[in-house]
Amino acid sequence: MAQQQETLRREDETEDTLDEALRDGARIEELPSDDSDDDFEDVDEDFTGPPFPGKHLLKQNDLDLPPWLKPETFALFHDDLTTTTSEAQVKVTADCLPLLTGKERLNGLRYNKYGIPHLNREKHVAFLKDWLEPLPAPYVVIDASRPWVFYWTIGGLSFLEQDVSVYKQRLMETVRPLQNPYGGFGGGHGQYSHLAGTYACILALAAAGGLEAVDRKGLWHWLGQMKQSDGGFTMSKGAEEDIRGAYCAMTAISLLNLPLDLPPDAPARKAGLNTFTDRLGEWVGRCQTYEGGIAGAPTNEAHGAYAFCALACLSIIDAPHISIPKYLDVQALLSWLSGIQTTPEGGFAGRANKLVDACYSHWVGSCWALIQAALRIGKTQDLWSREGLIRYLLCCAQQQGKKGGMRDKPSARPDAYHTLYSLSGLSAAQNHYSYDYHGPSQDGENGRLTAAFNWSAEGPSEAELAAWKIEQEDVVIPIHPVFVLPLDVIERTKQQFQKGGL
Amino acid sequence: MGKYSEDPAWADIVPLPTDEGGPNPLAAIAYSDEYGEAMSYLRAVMASNEFSPRVLELTDDLIDMNPAHYTVWLYRAQCIFELKYPLEDELAWLNETALAHQKNYQIWHHRNTIVDKLGKWQGEAEFVEQMFELDAKNYHVWSHRQWLVKRFGLWEEGELEFTERMLEKDVRNNSAWNHRWYIVNGREAEGVRGVTHEGIRMREIEFARKAIAKAPQNASPWSYLRGIVRKSGMPLASLKELVLQYADTSKPDGVKSSHALDLLADVLAEGADGKQQASEALDLLSTKYDPIRKNYWEYRKGLLGGGSSASTATAA
Ligand SMILES: [Zn+2]
Repeated sequence: MAQQQETLRREDETEDTLDEALRDGARIEELPSDDSDDDFEDVDEDFTGPPFPGKHLLKQNDLDLPPWLKPETFALFHDDLTTTTSEAQVKVTADCLPLLTGKERLNGLRYNKYGIPHLNREKHVAFLKDWLEPLPAPYVVIDASRPWVFYWTIGGLSFLEQDVSVYKQRLMETVRPLQNPYGGFGGGHGQYSHLAGTYACILALAAAGGLEAVDRKGLWHWLGQMKQSDGGFTMSKGAEEDIRGAYCAMTAISLLNLPLDLPPDAPARKAGLNTFTDRLGEWVGRCQTYEGGIAGAPTNEAHGAYAFCALACLSIIDAPHISIPKYLDVQALLSWLSGIQTTPEGGFAGRANKLVDACYSHWVGSCWALIQAALRIGKTQDLWSREGLIRYLLCCAQQQGKKGGMRDKPSARPDAYHTLYSLSGLSAAQNHYSYDYHGPSQDGENGRLTAAFNWSAEGPSEAELAAWKIEQEDVVIPIHPVFVLPLDVIERTKQQFQKGGL
Repeated sequence: MGKYSEDPAWADIVPLPTDEGGPNPLAAIAYSDEYGEAMSYLRAVMASNEFSPRVLELTDDLIDMNPAHYTVWLYRAQCIFELKYPLEDELAWLNETALAHQKNYQIWHHRNTIVDKLGKWQGEAEFVEQMFELDAKNYHVWSHRQWLVKRFGLWEEGELEFTERMLEKDVRNNSAWNHRWYIVNGREAEGVRGVTHEGIRMREIEFARKAIAKAPQNASPWSYLRGIVRKSGMPLASLKELVLQYADTSKPDGVKSSHALDLLADVLAEGADGKQQASEALDLLSTKYDPIRKNYWEYRKGLLGGGSSASTATAA
């Protein structure tokens, strides 16, 4: 680490060895099950630096720095007590600070007129396309998560304005053996249907324009098997029940306009439930913890990815300003969300006292449009630091060198998962989302949940670009705050299934 | 030819090879011969719903090659129950596997299923603590621990002391704070009161107070205090003395914690004519002590006019 500080330009990465590729693969999860990005593995045991080792690097050009990056701010609090948590934090701050302040530059990236790296579009495109090519044998560890790869790549390419309809045919063929005769998609041929794989397949197909590959009737039946009598959903038959299930299931139901009534053979019917939304809001509400954040299941620890699943799920079953305050203590949630934007890095951590990680740029970053709509706050007011997140993503989350891609943090290697969710977070930070409070929450004729189709978006003004120190070419197109795909894809999907029925 | 195709014990099975869907599958994984073959046998036995000792071995083999394979785990669980396989043996096997692949959803769900069926928790708490040596914030391990407590009624079997031990090691471990909250408040539905009971509330406030003294800028105990306030509806004024200790705005170096200043704003706002002072506390956060959250502090200031403080407006 000390070496990294001495070098002002970071070395190019050498080509991946198989071993490194395996470690990359091993990092990949479905929706993040926890922020298991090995926060502690590489903490120097004998690290004895000052609390903010990058401090001495800030002497020159701090005039232009935002206040949280000025030494007088981050030198304010440092507790003497050292623990595993604080050691890990100190190390990450030391890695990020030189990149955030421009003292150190990422090799191979172009810098804009403010001294911030441009969004490395072409390289990120190439990186994602590479993930669609055959993967070597060690990638077997993601054999049950392969649908995610389709979504991260095709979705990510669509965020970068690539024509992804070229993948339609191949994608439809590839997912055919993943779809089970009883409905839903598994991680691979012969694997049980799973809500994460189903969600990822549906989003990838939506982006490429191949949703006719989905057996909607089968899916509806299978989803009925996932619905639990307490209102939540299990991820697979006999598997765990958590809030990812609730979000993934409701996404499928709303996007594909599946009937809201539970199938006749759904086990939850025996407990008196009749529809997919019965007891769902209450179940989501039970996941809010004493901290104000949302856990994966009732009583677990508050976690950023689950906050997004909760808010997005509630924003599907009704308008956000109605359903979110109905089931959640919004002020407590807001205070918690605000608290996990890390300083001085500017990105988000997944939980209190954990480290910044670019994937939470989406999981937490995309909560803001939803919570601002819940509070009916207009675009003139913000509740969070867009500038902080944008700076973290451009300066710290982009991979240096030739290969492109985005990463958790400077000490991590890029992967498709962090690339897509970093791009989504960047979009959330750069665009303004408005909710039409008079829009319908349900289709009068076929009963489809339409609350999530009332969003529109607007790009940043010139003044905002200047304030955030970016240029127009660094702006990502608006991504739908609930379904995490470009807005036009969602509009097209809405039209495609206007008819309903099975 | 491979391990299964050459084995006479598997001669009756016609393997089902991988269907790649088309000539140009996306992100196709170049399976090793061993994995490809084992999967083709798994598909075949699943198609005929076979549960047998040899299937158990097959799942063992596959889990070894790909521990994130939820289908194999779920099928293995069915197989264990169908065969009435000794659950203790399964746990012993799991212990080894878990140490190798601890950050894995499936393994913990499987463990949960087996322990539930076995109906015995002995050894579990120790095992979990061993896992915390590897990562003291592992989400799955904590949720498994919560489940154990609930399933076997271990509320008063040294669990509070366990959280103290964990927090002694790292007072910033927010997962341990969450577990403590659960142990203290997790039985409200059964009529066992947590922080709504005054004595327990005092004990927990004291616990948080001591933790804050060790590291004032640690968010966890401050959130814990907030949680107590929301849950019990206690007046914020009773925390004023504690808060001022770490957020004394009258002295140049009197602010030792931004979290204290945050709470101070609410304490002040609750007072009869404290709105102005609360607003000043939020200004300090926004301009000096915590500028990255400037927009949030400004929003909180806006709420002051409405009459109730932001973070405590609604009881949870
Ligand atoms: Zn991550």
